[in-house]
This record gives sequence, C-alpha cells and structure tokens, in this order.
Amino acid sequence: MKGQICLIQRFFISKAKGRNCTASLFGISLEIGVVLFLMFALNMARSQAAPVAPNPSGITINTNVDDPAEPVKDSLSERGSHNFSDMGSWIWDTNVCDRQTVRFWKSFEIPADTTVNRARLRITADNEYILYLDGREIGRDAEWRHLYEYDITSLLSPGNHVLAVEAYNSSREAGFMFGMKAALSSGKVVEVKSDKSWLIVPLDVPGWEKKVEPADSWRQATFESIFGQGPWGTMDYIDLVPPLQPLNIPFWQTGWFEVVLVTVCVVASIFSFILASQLLLHRKEKLLLQQERARIARDIHDDLGTRVTQLVLQGEVAQRELPPGSSTRVQLERISDEAREALRAMDEILWAINPRRDTLQEFATFVCGHAQTFLKNTPIQCVLDVEPAMSTIAFDLPFRRSLLLAVKEALNNAAKHSEATELQLKIRRQGDGLTVVVQDNGKGFNPAQPKAERNGLANMNQRLNEIGGRCMLTSQPGNGCRVEFYIPFIQMHNRPWWSNWFFSNRLTRTKPAPVEGKK
Amino acid sequence: MSKPAKASPPFKISAKSPLKIALVEDQPKVRDNWSQLINSFPDLSCICICKTGEEALRLIPEAKPDAVLMDIFLPRMSGIECTSRLKALVPEVRIIILTAMNDEELVFMALEAGADGYLLKRTKPADLRAALLDVLNGGAPMTSEIARRVVESFRLKAKTRDESLRLSAREEQILLLLAKGHSNKMIADNLEISVDTVCHHLKHVFEKMHVSSRTEAVVRYMASKTQAVN
Repeated sequence: MKGQICLIQRFFISKAKGRNCTASLFGISLEIGVVLFLMFALNMARSQAAPVAPNPSGITINTNVDDPAEPVKDSLSERGSHNFSDMGSWIWDTNVCDRQTVRFWKSFEIPADTTVNRARLRITADNEYILYLDGREIGRDAEWRHLYEYDITSLLSPGNHVLAVEAYNSSREAGFMFGMKAALSSGKVVEVKSDKSWLIVPLDVPGWEKKVEPADSWRQATFESIFGQGPWGTMDYIDLVPPLQPLNIPFWQTGWFEVVLVTVCVVASIFSFILASQLLLHRKEKLLLQQERARIARDIHDDLGTRVTQLVLQGEVAQRELPPGSSTRVQLERISDEAREALRAMDEILWAINPRRDTLQEFATFVCGHAQTFLKNTPIQCVLDVEPAMSTIAFDLPFRRSLLLAVKEALNNAAKHSEATELQLKIRRQGDGLTVVVQDNGKGFNPAQPKAERNGLANMNQRLNEIGGRCMLTSQPGNGCRVEFYIPFIQMHNRPWWSNWFFSNRLTRTKPAPVEGKK
Repeated sequence: MSKPAKASPPFKISAKSPLKIALVEDQPKVRDNWSQLINSFPDLSCICICKTGEEALRLIPEAKPDAVLMDIFLPRMSGIECTSRLKALVPEVRIIILTAMNDEELVFMALEAGADGYLLKRTKPADLRAALLDVLNGGAPMTSEIARRVVESFRLKAKTRDESLRLSAREEQILLLLAKGHSNKMIADNLEISVDTVCHHLKHVFEKMHVSSRTEAVVRYMASKTQAVN
C-alpha cells in the first residue's frame, strides 16, 4: 500500500501549500503594529525638534525671541540709568551660613475682570536663584552683580499667583532681591517686592513651589539691607530676559496625547501579537485536523477496504464451489452483496473525511457521480451541467457535507415523487457563491400545500441554513420541480480576517454529523 | 497519420482459445481469489500471476497475455507507474486497473498513464467478463467525470501537442456529452451515428491520450515516487 500512501501524501503536500491565506493575515496584523510604531516614532522626533524651554515640570513657557510686539535688543545686557524704585530690599533667612539653600514663597492676586497690559519682574540673589511662577520654572542664574528682568506679561491671568524662589548662598553674605510690576488694563498696578512678607519654606516640603496656600510653620523672611546699601551696593547692569510666552503646543505634542499614543501602540502590538499567534495556532490546528483526517481515510482504505473487498471475493469464490440454486449459495451471494454495499458506503465516508476532497471540484465530481449512480436504476435520465473548469478552491467538510446531504434529499424526492423522465443537476459558481440546482420535469406540486412527506424540504432548508446558505423551491403542478441551493463563498473562506479569528473555532469545532446509514 | 493507431480486430472468445489474462496483485488472498474467479469462466484463463510491478515488467512481455489486470496500489512501483512502463514495453497489451475504492482521480491518472479501462475489485464476476470484453473491444467504460477530465487535460495540453494528438471536433463533442451524463446509446441517438462509432471514437481518444502521455507519465510517476520516499 506504499504507492497509495505516497499519492495521498503528495496531494496533501500540495494542498498545504495552497493554504497560505492565514499567513497573509498574520502579515496584516504585524503591519498594523509597525505603522502605529512609526507614527509614534515620528511624533517623538517632531516633539524633540520643537524648541522647548529647559523645564522639567511641564513645558508651557517658551522664550520667544521673535515676538514682534516686544522687540528685544541684540544685547541682553545694558548699562545705564534705570529706575530701580520698584525693587524690594535684600532679604534672607534669620541665619546666614555657607552653602545654604533658602526657599522663598509669596502669593499675589491679579484682580478679576482685568487684563495685564505689561508685567515685568527683576530679580537677583547672592549667589544663585531659581525662579518659579505658579509652580513652573521661569529662569535661574548665578551672578549677583546683575539684575535679571523677565517679561511675564503673557503668563499673568486674573487670579491668584504664586512666586517661589530657591536661593543658594555659597559663602559669606547672602541675600535675595525681587521686584515685580504689573500694569493692568484698569489702570491699576500690582507690585510685589522682596520684603518681610515673603515666607521661608522648610527644605523638606515636597512640591513646595506649587503650593498655593502657605503653612503655619513657614516663618517670615528677614530684612538684610535696602537696595543700594549693605554689602552689595547699587547695580548698573540689567540683564533682559526675552519675554516669556506661553508655548503654543499642538495637541499631538502634549504629554497626555503621547501617553495615549504609547498605550494605543502597546495595546495594538499586543493585540497583533495575540492575533498572529491565534492565527498560527489555528492554522496548526487545521493542519493537524487534516493530517488526522488523512490518516483515518488511509486506515479505512488500506485496512477496512481491503478486508471487505477480500470478503466479497472470498464469497464469490465460495459460491462457485456450490451447485447453482443451493440455498447456501444464495446466502453467500447475499453476504457478498451486503459487503459490496458496505464498500459503497465506505467510499462515501472516505470522500467525506479525506482532506484532499476539500475542494469545489471534488464536490462537483462526487455529487455528479452520486446522482448518476442513484438514478441509474430509475426511469429518470440524469443530465449534468457542471462548470467546465470548476475551481479547486477550498470547500470545507461541514459545507460540502451539508450540501451533499441536501442534494441527496432533493434527488431522493425526485426519484420517489416526481415521476419525471429527466433530471438536471447543475453546479455553477454564481457571483460570489456556489449554486446547485436540481430540476426535474415531473408532475410537480403546489409548494403552498403542506403534506406529510414534505419533511425532506424542511430538512434541506435546515441544512442550508446551518451553513449560512439558502434553499429555494419552485414548483407548479404539472410543471416539474426546481430546487436551488446557494452558499455564499464568504461563508467559506473569504471572511474578513477578524471574523476568521472570531468564528473559526466555531466552524472547525462543528460536530460532524453522523454518517448517514444505507438503507 | 490522421489516426494515431490502427483499429484492433474485435476479440472473439471461445472455450477453445480462452482469453489469456495476467494478474498483478500484491496481496496473496486477493490474488488467489481473483485467479480462481478468472479460471472459473471457461473462456478466460489466468496465465500469469505477478506479485509486484517489477515482476510484471519481467514476466508479462514473455507471457504475452491479451489483458492485464493491475492493482493500482503495489508496493514500491505503483500500479500506475507499472502500467506506464508496461505499455512502453508491450504497446499492444490491454491493461485494466483494479481499484478497491472508487477514486476517479486515481483512475484518470491510470488512464492517462496508459490503462485501457478500470474495474472495481468488488465488481460481480458476471459483470467482470462483460467489462473485460468491453475493454478489449475498445469501449472502455467512461464515466462523466472521467470524460470531463479527459477534455480538460487535452485542452490544457493543446498548445504543446502536435496536430495529430489533439481531439477531433467529433471526439470532443462525444466527450462533452458523456460529461453531461449521457450514455453511449443516447450519444449515438443524439448525433445520429451508431453506438459502435461512438465506441470507436472513444477508443481513439484513449489511444491519443496514451501516446502523448506515455513518456511524460513515466517521468511524472518516477518523480512523485521519489518525493514520497523523501
């Protein structure tokens, strides 16, 4: 039986090669992941290219040098007579020591229903400072001889604001000086100067620069010296910091969007991965199922088939040794005939389970063969009309089985009730589906009239419904009967990739109907 | 040469000159039963029994039987390959393929390889004799499915074949009617020719098929065998 095994194997191999559609689905899902990652990478690259103030706590402030409303001189440092009257005093903590960090805190209010026409602040510290407004860093420097002027017009909206300054003294004298002037549209001016009302925040308060309310434990700052006196003297230099503008950030560069995008990417990648592995698994399952079906087919053919054939032959030989007409001979003949029927039934089972029969062409072949054999012993002449180049596309077991049983039912009905002389069996691909038509020229009947033996029609309908097809019956008394079965291909293999994933299990695990017994 | 092969004279069988049959079958029980069945007919005699395809290639050319009954599944060399090789050695011998199960695909391959007909092993002995005579007289039984495949295979190869090996219009017409499920009798009525003429045409179809595929078939089945071994 080696030859036969090799043939079956060969068919099986060629079949497996044709089933690469799952592989392409795998590709698609990977592609989705790749595209999303590219989107993300591009977004990252763009947001890094954009000018961002060196601010770790949320990027909303930009040093915009191109603002036409506020032309800035080329030199940011100018010397000359300035009005320093709006500057506060030098203040510090009660103790002064080397390598000391002091945190100053002050809140102020811009009245409602006004806008800020112009707001600037000047600041310096011996030796270093970091300036925060409303929890965001605005600037820092380490040159106590220079005053630094910041334009914060666009950062001040009506409401409460918080100034926070972290000052550092490296050695000896220590001081921090500040002055802010905001001209409002109402004509008023809001001024904030460094004085004793500033609070000193302990170093162990987390997120201190964002606090909007002071705590009771914060003590007041200590007056050191008024401007122009003390160890520091007057200042001739003012460093103009370019006006600060709220950064106009497109939504795709905002933090939350990036987080969402990353999440989507990760989820999509995980989903694609799961999908891909599902597909692989499904494909493997299908392959295993096919191998198993091929094995069973081979076993039935090689073992059972050979033995029953042997039984038939043995029976025939035994008959020859008996005189004609003896009762034992008649019985032997019956045994042989019964064994022949068993072989015929086996042929059909083999056809059903052999995976290499899972094509439209094989289906058409088998149905035609069955119709011819079935109608051979009836007065009905069978005429076949099969599309010449019937496709070899897949036509899986549940579909071909159900359709075969339905067609058999139709043939049976025609043979039993129609009194026809000719029956036409037509198998065609039509549009995106398969059509099988069984048409006889018999006496016909009125389909509207219910009859006890019409169970067959209900059966056909049910079988077709189970596999997503439909069954149409047209008949008129005296005008033959036509049964049309239709299965859309989309039910069989052209399902969209996602439905394949969702429905495949259901389809492959459909319990095979028990093999129909022979009468 | 418009006709690829000469028409063989019809076989006449009598008990005096029984039809010589050779049997190629690997299973001993089936072999014994078949030879007994054949010999039980007075006008048939089993003159040569081979266990393998290799043995058949060695013994049959010398035994010169009228017909060879060849099991399709043989160990090592398959019945199809053996048919193809045997036809190359002894073109005039008639080869009938025996199959346990009805598998028209395999049967068609065997016919293409040079077989003249096929029988199911479960065929009743009475039908066996009739079927044998049919085949020997050229009227190999052709089911609609086989006819369809024959037309298809000729169409596929039409471009590479030389003129004399293509189907004539009439032959194709007959095959297409067969494929529609018409019997030889109906075809004869339909085309207003005799049943014998229909059989004659079919015989030519087989001969054309054999001539054209003899060499390529050997190569093909050799290849498939190597594949399976690997």
